[in-house]
Amino acid sequence: MSDERTPKPIDFSVLDPSRNQLRWERTIQELAAKARAERQRRFSVEHELLRWARPVLAVAAALCLIVWTAGYLAHGRRTSAPVRLPTQSPALTFATWVANDRIPDSSELFGTLGGNL
Amino acid sequence: MLTSKATSDLIEGALRGESDAFTGLVRAYLRPAYSVALSVLGRPTDAEDVAQDAFMKAFASLESCREPEHFAAWFFQIVRNRARNLLDSRRLRDVAADDSKILEFASPASESAGMRQALLSALSDLDPDKREVVLLHDLENWTHAEIAQALNISEVHSRQHLFRARQLLRAKLDGDLSEHTEEHHVR
Repeated sequence: MSDERTPKPIDFSVLDPSRNQLRWERTIQELAAKARAERQRRFSVEHELLRWARPVLAVAAALCLIVWTAGYLAHGRRTSAPVRLPTQSPALTFATWVANDRIPDSSELFGTLGGNL
Repeated sequence: MLTSKATSDLIEGALRGESDAFTGLVRAYLRPAYSVALSVLGRPTDAEDVAQDAFMKAFASLESCREPEHFAAWFFQIVRNRARNLLDSRRLRDVAADDSKILEFASPASESAGMRQALLSALSDLDPDKREVVLLHDLENWTHAEIAQALNISEVHSRQHLFRARQLLRAKLDGDLSEHTEEHHVR
């Protein structure tokens, strides 16, 4: 594809946004300043977050330790308390009734099965 | 177009927050970005907005430009993505072009308005790759080597695209102009 055969360049000057030089220069200056300010603002926020990250993490770790210790102590106290075993299981009550040939009334049945009248 | 070294230096300067570096990058790449956006959108005002918006995005994430010597390729991808997003939202909203703003920068002369419309119409018949190449070459005066590097294509492809784009544009523009002349004579 030789350059001699290539058609002549197209004149795109009517689409050139920099034809109005004053306006174009103003656009460049404003955009550069805006981009720089935005970047500085964003990085100052990030910098602040990084500056506070270490003390915040230390406080969070201390809080975790306190909560965990309190939980551990409370749990230990609970497990050392005497365990209350159920007085009588429903199966054993039924077995006793059958052995004594006794027919329980409705309130006894309800009570054995855990209901309240 | 700036050399790879000059671009890398400006990027380093911008990362350090130097004001001149920001201005240098905008001065060097705003118009090419406009050309790339125009090749996607086909509307000068939208293209200008997208080029500026893409610059804001690029500066905000400048650290992610891992190869500063290939800044143009990286940046143009941002421009294309922004332009396609706008194109999608425009399709959804079916927004009509606001050509009144175009006159603000294009030319105060009314005779250029017809030429501008003819050019935009002719450009719309090309595929986006050819539009990018012909605009970067004939509007930005970039060389084929520069275009090839920025668009991640070979120089041969760049030449082929330019050749075909100019052929198609010439045919379309000559046809439009002769039609226009005939209409004028009939009147």
